[in-house]
Amino acid sequence: MMMNHNNKWIGCALFILWALIRPMTIQAAGVLTGQITDQKTGETLPGANVQVLGTILGAGADENGKYRIDNLPPGWYDIRVSMISYRTHTEKKVVIREGETTTFDVELRETVIEFDPIVVLGGKTKQRLDQANVSLSVVTSREIESRNATNIIEALETAPGINFIGNQINIRGSNGYTFGAGNKVLLLVDDVPVYTSDTGEFNWDMLPPMDIEQIEILKGAGSTLWGSAALGGVVNVITKNPSPQGKLLFGITAGKYGRPAYDEWLWTDPDRLHYTREDISYSKRFGRLGMRVSAGRFFSTGYTQVGDFRKYNLTGKVDYQFKNGIKWTGYAALSHVKRGFFFQWKGQNDPYEVDETNLNNYADVDQLNLYTKLAVPFSARFAFKVRLSLIRSLTGDQFGKGDQFNPAYGQGVELQSDWIPVFGHTLTAGIQYQYDTGSTKYFGDHRGYLIGPYIQDEWKIRGNLRATTGLRYDRYQLIGGAKEDLFSPRFGINWQPWEKTSIRASAGSGFRAATIVERFMELTVMNFKIIKNEDLRAESSWAFDIGFRQYITEDWNLDVSLFNNEYWDLIEAHMDLIRGQIQFRNIPRARIRGIEATSKWGIPVTLLGMDVVPGLQVSITAMDHEDLKWHEPLTYRPKVLFNIRFSLDVENVNIQADYRYASKIDAVKIYPINERVPMKFVDIRVSLELWKIKAQVGIQNLLNYNYAPMESNLMPMRTYIMGIQGEF
Amino acid sequence: MQTGKTILTAILFLLTLTCTVDHGLAPLPGKLVVTVAFRGTPPDNTEGIYLNVAPKFPPHAINELYHSPNSLPLDQDTVITELALPYGHYDAVSLWWYNKETESNLADVLALPLDPFNNLEPIGFDLSEEHPVHEMFLYPNWNRVKRDAAIKGKIYFNGPFPEDTQITAVAAYVNKPEADVQFLVWLKSIDFSVGERSRNWNAGEMSYSYTLPVTNGYVNYLAVFWLKEKAGLTDYVTLGFYEDPENPGTPGKISLEENAVADSIYIYADWAKINR
Repeated sequence: MMMNHNNKWIGCALFILWALIRPMTIQAAGVLTGQITDQKTGETLPGANVQVLGTILGAGADENGKYRIDNLPPGWYDIRVSMISYRTHTEKKVVIREGETTTFDVELRETVIEFDPIVVLGGKTKQRLDQANVSLSVVTSREIESRNATNIIEALETAPGINFIGNQINIRGSNGYTFGAGNKVLLLVDDVPVYTSDTGEFNWDMLPPMDIEQIEILKGAGSTLWGSAALGGVVNVITKNPSPQGKLLFGITAGKYGRPAYDEWLWTDPDRLHYTREDISYSKRFGRLGMRVSAGRFFSTGYTQVGDFRKYNLTGKVDYQFKNGIKWTGYAALSHVKRGFFFQWKGQNDPYEVDETNLNNYADVDQLNLYTKLAVPFSARFAFKVRLSLIRSLTGDQFGKGDQFNPAYGQGVELQSDWIPVFGHTLTAGIQYQYDTGSTKYFGDHRGYLIGPYIQDEWKIRGNLRATTGLRYDRYQLIGGAKEDLFSPRFGINWQPWEKTSIRASAGSGFRAATIVERFMELTVMNFKIIKNEDLRAESSWAFDIGFRQYITEDWNLDVSLFNNEYWDLIEAHMDLIRGQIQFRNIPRARIRGIEATSKWGIPVTLLGMDVVPGLQVSITAMDHEDLKWHEPLTYRPKVLFNIRFSLDVENVNIQADYRYASKIDAVKIYPINERVPMKFVDIRVSLELWKIKAQVGIQNLLNYNYAPMESNLMPMRTYIMGIQGEF
Repeated sequence: MQTGKTILTAILFLLTLTCTVDHGLAPLPGKLVVTVAFRGTPPDNTEGIYLNVAPKFPPHAINELYHSPNSLPLDQDTVITELALPYGHYDAVSLWWYNKETESNLADVLALPLDPFNNLEPIGFDLSEEHPVHEMFLYPNWNRVKRDAAIKGKIYFNGPFPEDTQITAVAAYVNKPEADVQFLVWLKSIDFSVGERSRNWNAGEMSYSYTLPVTNGYVNYLAVFWLKEKAGLTDYVTLGFYEDPENPGTPGKISLEENAVADSIYIYADWAKINR
């Protein structure tokens, strides 16, 4: 009987599978092929992306800029071609005939400023930024290179609505400062979560800037598709794919810290304070096999006592594209860091020094990130993806008490299907499983798992109207401890009433299960006693967002959004103000709401016979945040963020100036009595590109402004930078 | 060429601005110089001793105090220490003792100069552009924190703890305090962890067993205090006190020799004292 029962289920499964892949087998397919070139120079564009809209099919251009997409059922398709630094081109109604090869060549126009790049963060499938129904920002590799960023934080800190408190990212004030334990923003690398399994934090050192193709930032809750930790936003770092024509990249950056703003702050010979970063990367496709490997090191004396570090990283990415469209990708990143921990200054008159008892606060931090992905397109309408991931992190003991830490392991599996059952609907469904372990003397041995099935339908109601509905259920189980069930629904709509206008609205929910550290950590650091809270509950949120995006001219756009993020059981560090103890606790209700406006402008002109491109990017985020139980501001969150960047390209010279402002933080946890000031940073850079070499000089914090984002921690003083990047 | 000149002018203009613009945080201009003359020897469990300055007294919470970044040296009889401060008025100066075994608390204030001509209020000082430096002396007595005796007993509660409890404490005083400052200077010992650890609860009788280390001598007032969430140090409510068995309703007196333990000291805590 049992056998018969099983056979029945197997039969059903096979029938469903047959039904899904049926379009590929019953219709004779056509082929789409062509070449992508630069409109101005006529040069071919290897690596350009071609997507057949309304299907899950697409391809990348080879070393000659040529692409080929097989197995296209006959019909009319809209074809979208995109590449960083070029305007996305969409061709409507390209005809594919049965058994025939259709040739479709595209010329892309170079753009100075990225207006509407292709993103995946909004819906787990590729879409244009202006067609997303949530607020998104994108930082491209070109922007990262132009900033000569030595780490991903420098690449992100000028993005609209973003600010950093220490190493912790805030998207529209989502995170505050959680003392390095539990980030309310999810970080993904190529769509794979990369937070450490014990602290729930990221190791930004795992990501050399040279390897990054694009960074996408989702502002607001995103747990429906991305799971735990997508409470206040998601950052997806897309790494570069192997280059079709073979590419060697190198970069050398050196920085020299200047004198402190006040002579009494000198603590050492300022001439010795500097950093250097060297990276090298090579990538190439060998037929169907592509590989990319990069290595880097980053040494710094630091600008404070105990601020020095030595960082090494090695990353590799391999992919293989099978004949039938199946693609396998493997990625590995290894990082070793030896660094000091500057917890707090000795005093405001010695802000770059630490108390002598903390002079030995050094630790080794090792991390290994691995993922492998397999994407199987069964047909033009159905694809299946599997990914496996592993993160191993080991933090040495910075508290000088011997080897008290064991490696923490995070293992993940995700199965995802993309299905277009009928025209206009894209159904994304999957299941994610994550198993985390952590073990130290300070919080004991703990294990937990999270399993979450999800489903989302993206419905193209009309050519200019799209609606998204999704739902996710998660079960979080701490083995031998707490169990929580969480539902994360999501709704969104995008309407483009006119060609240059898009209006979006969304409501989405997010959650984050408390990390092992937040629940169990017990430790005394410098008279602060951290005590455990085993009763900590998962925090959850609803994000409401309404926005519009308008092209005022072809080279000038404006994006405005209103947002309202409601939080339940927000996990924050609670300071016991009588005894000096710190414990992570739930704030029953909190709210962050505000308005964000961004505008980009850039127009190429000819001046005195030279190609000149002036550009301007402005963003302002005004927020109100409140603990609704006590009607007081949430800690470590500014109310206003303002960024402005002016750029000027004159032939092969690029000049940039940034001004970054964050209003004074209203409330802090530990030393509210300390003076606080707003952030006001000015950075300038000049770069010159000759042949395949780009040289850059610049000054960061030009005004030598002294800003402490959290108590007793000054940001770097004026810093002089120079760098060389080459591409061969 | 013209463009180059414009850019150069703009850069020079920005560089010129650096001489005049706001630099954000700056060194603190004022300074307190304290000469500390210790009396006695530090207890073996001493971790350190820190200088504290309170802009307002009593402080609402401990993070409203300026403090020295590191401990004063423990191996000297007399120490001169400095603390950088902003200009302004400061209500009080004290030293705070930290031990290696238990969390530090209010009973660990070692020196708090009081003004005998001003109702024994703490002696404050002012720092200004005209008077950027203030000098003073402190005479801490190590014996104040040598807790060589103990009081043991039970606290009986007439109901469960309110949900908005921040802290419940049992405290021993030399005399019954009346004014804010007396709650600090007459304090011999305090334990803030009453009822915090559920394993100490005696099921069924709502009682909490405590052991309070104290210095030898007299304890003339032993009380249970309660503080609601977000309340400041001075917003405590007295839930009950140890009553004289011979004369109920009046505070009981406890006399302790060196290394002595006073046992079976019972206190009845009444939640009705919380005025909602």
